[in-house]
Amino acid sequence: MLEIQQINTFRGPAHILRGVSLTVGDAEAVCLVGRNGAGKTTTIDSIMGLLPVRSGAIAFKGRDITRLPAHERARLGIGYSPEDSGIFPDLTVAENFQISQLMGASRGRGASTSGAEMDERILAVFPEVKEFTGRRGLNLSGGQKKMVAIARAMTLSPSILLLDEPFEGLAPVVVNRFIDAVKKIKGMGISLLIAESNLNTATRIADRLYAIDRGEIIFQGDPKSALQNEEVMKTIRG
Amino acid sequence: MDTFLIHLLNSLLYASVLFLIAGGLSLIYGVMRIVNLAHGNLYAVGAYTTAWAVGRVLGGAPTLVLYALLPVGAVAAAALGAVLEPTLLRPLYKRAEEYQLLITFGLLLVLEDRIRVVWGPYPLAASALFEGPGSFAIGESIYPTYNLAVITVGGLAAAGLWAFVYKTKFGVILRATSQNMRMASALGVNVNRVYVQAFTLGCFMAGLGGAIIVPQQGAVLGMGVDALILAFVVVVIGGLGSLEGALLGALMVGVVREFGIAFFPEIELAVLYFMAAVVLLIRPAGLFGRT
Repeated sequence: MLEIQQINTFRGPAHILRGVSLTVGDAEAVCLVGRNGAGKTTTIDSIMGLLPVRSGAIAFKGRDITRLPAHERARLGIGYSPEDSGIFPDLTVAENFQISQLMGASRGRGASTSGAEMDERILAVFPEVKEFTGRRGLNLSGGQKKMVAIARAMTLSPSILLLDEPFEGLAPVVVNRFIDAVKKIKGMGISLLIAESNLNTATRIADRLYAIDRGEIIFQGDPKSALQNEEVMKTIRG
Repeated sequence: MDTFLIHLLNSLLYASVLFLIAGGLSLIYGVMRIVNLAHGNLYAVGAYTTAWAVGRVLGGAPTLVLYALLPVGAVAAAALGAVLEPTLLRPLYKRAEEYQLLITFGLLLVLEDRIRVVWGPYPLAASALFEGPGSFAIGESIYPTYNLAVITVGGLAAAGLWAFVYKTKFGVILRATSQNMRMASALGVNVNRVYVQAFTLGCFMAGLGGAIIVPQQGAVLGMGVDALILAFVVVVIGGLGSLEGALLGALMVGVVREFGIAFFPEIELAVLYFMAAVVLLIRPAGLFGRT
């Protein structure tokens, strides 16, 4: 589904990602864990095309997308929910959902592209969203923003979702709710790449896990091995 | 009472044209975060093109045909905008604001010179359109009917632009891009295309302002810079990036300027700047601006 090979990404003069490689398979949930500043967001932004990669390659469904602009990646079926949710404050939730449909970005990927079906998919994951579709982004709580951000990414009828810290700042009970939602999304056959700083949360949802530190992948494997790996535990938990 | 009504109509006339200029300036800033110092000269291009088309090209045509030529100036300014954005401005989006100010100031000078080269140093007039509809009586005074047409166009432009931004699908895309360009692109929005469309629309508005006022005032060198300064007063008062602010600012400037010219002509401009200064002190982002 998604294959990243040896990417190097800079933010200004700072060399952030140093030869990062990772893969995400079909209907697979992969977590990228690391401390703040380890390079998780930069990895997600590089995959989405929001940051240019200096070298290396990114392939999606076998197609090289390394130099493709972000909007074309979205139209190919890469959904994105940023760390700060990225909700448009002056737009209603319904308008936030409309954007991908207005751009035709959700067309042409299987049968699940009609508005009604898409609404069903969103509501299946987050039925609560229905209650505040008329509310402006500005007036949503932090948890509601996170919810809308993931649901909005679903409007693209994505093949893969990139979720940057989707559980950050949420109360433990709400985290459980979000983990259920992520599992439902995975059950729909959608792949997931989740940037997460909490290793315990990551092990609850990931099929596979990568650990990143100072812009380099220091571990890859299943969640159980990660928990047994001293270097990973030390790096992530400090 | 009659005099008051005439002053009021003149205020609305002036506000209509100012809204078209400042609304375009504000729209461009709101979406692209670019302060286009050359915006006044796109208003001048609209005025000159219409005056040229009406006076030099089809001077002998029936009056109705001449009225149909009014939008030519707006289309010319829009076409110019559609070329300028991708060629001159787009390469500078990732640079500091100073570069954008420098390039748009340079563009202001270039356009001023081009206008002089293309249309010469003498004023152009399209007064046949102003005189065509005649006048109507307000008490013992008469008032040009054409001015009412300008006020109507200004009102329709304000309503049309509001509906376009808040009631259309493209408006949703436009507002999303203005609020978070990165997120919009991650949802499939081609931001470059939205930018050129917004810039073209802003230039169209400025060109329309020039086109509809040229039959009344004529086109003269320097009109773009004068308009730009007043448009800045409008957006300082209303808030740069806000269409509602541009409308309110244009109305305030229109009223104060008209009544200033009538009752305190020596300090008319000073009062305008004083008003802008007071707004800046109380609400630095303008009445409708975001802090």
